[in-house]
Amino acid sequence: MLKKIVTFRPSFTLRILTGLVAFLFMLSVCTLTYVADITTTLSERDLQFRGRLIEQGARYYKDQCARCHGPEGKGIDGIAPGISNENFLGQVEFREVDGQRVIQQIKPSKRLAELGYKGTLRDYIRSVIASGLPIKSSADWADPHPPFLDSYGGPLRDDQVDNITSFVINWAQAPKPDGESILPPPPGSGGAPKPTAVPLTADQEAGKQVYLKAGCNACHAIKGVGSQGAVGPNLSKIYTLSAETIASADYKSKVKDQPASTTPEDFIKQSIHYPNAYIAPQCPTGACPAGVMPQNFKDTIPAADFDKLVAYLSMLK
Amino acid sequence: MAVIGEKLVKQLRTTGVKSTVAQRLDDAFTRWNTGLTWNDVRGVLRGDPPAKPNPRVKPHTESFWYHIRPTFYHEAVTTLYPTFRLGLLSAVFFTWEIITGLFLMIFYTPSPTAAYVNMIDIMTNVPFGKFMRDLHRIGAEGMVIVVTLHMCRTFITASYKKPRQFTWFTGVILLIITLFLSFSGYLLPWDQLAFWAVTIGTSMADAAPLVGREVNLLLRGAPDIGAGGLLRFYLFHVLLFPLIGVVFVAVHYYKVVRFGISLPPDMDAVGEDTARKVPPEKRVNFLPDIATNEIMYAAVTFAVLAILSATVFAAPLENHANPKQTPLHTVAPWYFYWLQGLLKIPHVIPFLPGADSFFANGLGLTPKVFWGVIVGPLLIAVLFIVPYIDPNPSRRYGDRKIALGIGALFAALILYLSLAGRPLGVPITGFGYVGGDPAVEVGQHFIPDEGEGVIKEMSFDALVPGTYDVIGTPSSGSAELDKMIEEINSEISSRKANADPLGKIMPADAKGTVAIEDIQVDLRKFTLFIDYTDAKGAPQKFEKYIYLHKESGYSH
Ligand code: HEC
Ligand code: HEC
Ligand code: HEM
Repeated sequence: MLKKIVTFRPSFTLRILTGLVAFLFMLSVCTLTYVADITTTLSERDLQFRGRLIEQGARYYKDQCARCHGPEGKGIDGIAPGISNENFLGQVEFREVDGQRVIQQIKPSKRLAELGYKGTLRDYIRSVIASGLPIKSSADWADPHPPFLDSYGGPLRDDQVDNITSFVINWAQAPKPDGESILPPPPGSGGAPKPTAVPLTADQEAGKQVYLKAGCNACHAIKGVGSQGAVGPNLSKIYTLSAETIASADYKSKVKDQPASTTPEDFIKQSIHYPNAYIAPQCPTGACPAGVMPQNFKDTIPAADFDKLVAYLSMLK
Repeated sequence: MAVIGEKLVKQLRTTGVKSTVAQRLDDAFTRWNTGLTWNDVRGVLRGDPPAKPNPRVKPHTESFWYHIRPTFYHEAVTTLYPTFRLGLLSAVFFTWEIITGLFLMIFYTPSPTAAYVNMIDIMTNVPFGKFMRDLHRIGAEGMVIVVTLHMCRTFITASYKKPRQFTWFTGVILLIITLFLSFSGYLLPWDQLAFWAVTIGTSMADAAPLVGREVNLLLRGAPDIGAGGLLRFYLFHVLLFPLIGVVFVAVHYYKVVRFGISLPPDMDAVGEDTARKVPPEKRVNFLPDIATNEIMYAAVTFAVLAILSATVFAAPLENHANPKQTPLHTVAPWYFYWLQGLLKIPHVIPFLPGADSFFANGLGLTPKVFWGVIVGPLLIAVLFIVPYIDPNPSRRYGDRKIALGIGALFAALILYLSLAGRPLGVPITGFGYVGGDPAVEVGQHFIPDEGEGVIKEMSFDALVPGTYDVIGTPSSGSAELDKMIEEINSEISSRKANADPLGKIMPADAKGTVAIEDIQVDLRKFTLFIDYTDAKGAPQKFEKYIYLHKESGYSH
């Protein structure tokens, strides 16, 4: 049998026929592929890659943007505006046009109109991410927008910036309600610090300097005070927050020898000296991690400075 | 004075219009067909026996293309055995790659900022684009297989022996060119798969003693692969290697015409070669028999490749290359697994760790340099000298037990090393296994850093948002998700029960959790958590996640 196969000699006719059939087969496969491509598969594949690039964007957004804009893009008070809301994105919808699914804008971006920006929303987002903003548009924000594209000194490549942009725009199918987001103040309010409602006393002003010197702003944000990140809870209203915490039912101290606080001031003091006494539930990027806030401030901040710091934090209501 | 058309006018006058046109057409036809008249061609197509003297050998002297093909073969080598048409198929694949490659070249820019976007464009915007890409890829991998098999067959039939030593020599060059062509093309899509496979490959050059750093710089254009490296690999791939390939295919073909295809080993007396001394009755003429045979093989190959590409085969395209993030378990392309296997040999002299320091201090030889950079290329170099060191004049199978035995051992060695080159290593001995922490491995198994993965291929609707304990009998509300959770559970359990080849075992208290969240419309996040207590008694939490879009279509 095997011998028959390996010594088989196809006749001239068989050779011509086999070759012809194979050739026609290849031609028809090519034709079918071509027809499939121009009618459906090209646009299907286009949607596929759109999806895959959004997946990538989601990953980079989590790594790079969530710390300021929040995991759901709702913004963080004092740090960054929301970018997933209707005011910013407007709204889009998938529609069938000529048998193909295409994206159509059904509500325009109010923010873009307000800014008088000439390009598309995609251009705007891309350029803010890529080059950052040289100055902040409002004193509400701790810092101006950092650049993200590598050629502007950022950490990301071109394609990554593109993917993040696709991800942000993808919120426009179901934008978050404006009411749930931090909206930016109208353009033109400028970068000068807003006058604080209550002027600081000398002690409080000194406390603010202690806050900055001790590096609290590496993790915490206070509206109008520079901050480098959002690891710990926002302290803009820490006094009110503390009062609410100690009033809540499940509040208790977890550190031995440290009884639960009874006044907001005590709570603030305890939170700085014994951060683990009570782990705040909500940090900007999710549940608060325990043991991240340094445990040694009671040794490094002198008592006099500490009182001023607490005086400062206690006026943030 | 010669007037243009004077001859034509004369001919018209003497023989009339009809006969002149017929005559002129016949002339043109004969010239086009390098000496074959219309009647000759008709005879060929009808399958008539050739006249005497045979007019069908004329093209072999008249035309370049026929000149590099023999006029006739011995009857005995025109069946499947002994050549299996593998040499012809190598040439067919080579041609195929040039055609499909030209198509892809039109849409490709060798730059890190453009290449990957071009790839997506080819697949989503160019009619035929994905088809051509698949064809080119399947052709490249097919060519490696076919050329290797062709080498095996010429070894087994001892066709490398006198007078064909140099044919074999040029063949080895063609094998190397084939591997290099495949490898240099691997980088061009500029995705993670490409980038890291080639980074690993060229880092071997870096390890070479004395010239390593310079060779590496020449290849990559910089210490790391970037714009310069991509451009160089592109030029290697589309210019240098094909050029060398064409030259050596020509020499190789010339040698085949010169010596004829060797007869089946037992047909010649020992030490004799009668491939070119074919008695007339044993001759099979190139025109039309060999030619039609070859065209048939080519047509069938093209058809098979086209069908495979249109149906099951798809050239992979992973995420954009990211020099800052090495995917876990990066591997070289499969035809270099054996080299990766060599790199995993832990000591210069296997099973003798003590000798390592001697080699390292005395000669600066680390096991990697020794096995990867010295032994690896040597294994290929050995092929070059096969015809010159084989002292046996006989081509008969029975007389070549030693040579065939060594050949089989060599093949087995390459196979064993190839198995070891994979992250899983060799099945029973466990040699070559690389694996980190059991939890990380479970994560990699279900959510690999790059490439196909089972979670990726789940249907979007099966990803019901919620948090699920990984247990044997989950009830998530989706049968498909239940099945996946069950699989994760059994993977965790089996890693608790059995240590991996490196002795790592999953702590008994390990507990998995699966969380699925809605992130955006049609976008969900799948996270796998594994909580366990490590050897020091500290609680650990492993987490790996993947975002999945409804449209991304990994499953098909
Ligand atoms: C360090 C904090 C920070 C990070 C990190 C950050 N942003 Fe911003 N973002 C801001 C601030 C502050 C503004 C407002 C800037 C201004 O108006 O001056 C802003 C504004 C924006 C705007 C314009 C919003 C509007 O209404 O005009 C977009 C879009 C945006 N960011 C996207 C992103 C994306 C995407 C990322 C991740 C690559 C990111 N940002 C990372 C702080 C940040
Ligand atoms: C390395 C980051 C980090 C630094 C630096 C840091 N904190 Fe914190 N802080 C945290 C985290 C995380 C939490 C939430 C977990 C907790 O409650 O312990 C927190 C919680 C707090 C709370 C309690 C908030 C609440 O809502 O209960 C206060 C108050 C506070 N920090 C003040 C400060 C002050 C003042 C400084 C500077 C002296 C400082 N932190 C420095 C990370 C930090
Ligand atoms: C691109 C790669 C190659 C091409 C296109 C090619 C092509 C061919 C062709 C058409 C033949 C005629 C006989 C046949 O079809 O088998 C042949 C013969 C031969 N090839 Fe190759 N070849 C290639 C690679 C190799 C390699 C890698 C080797 C071995 C290392 C090799 C060694 C030989 C030898 C020894 C012969 C003579 C066989 C005989 O006379 O029986 N070739 N080659």
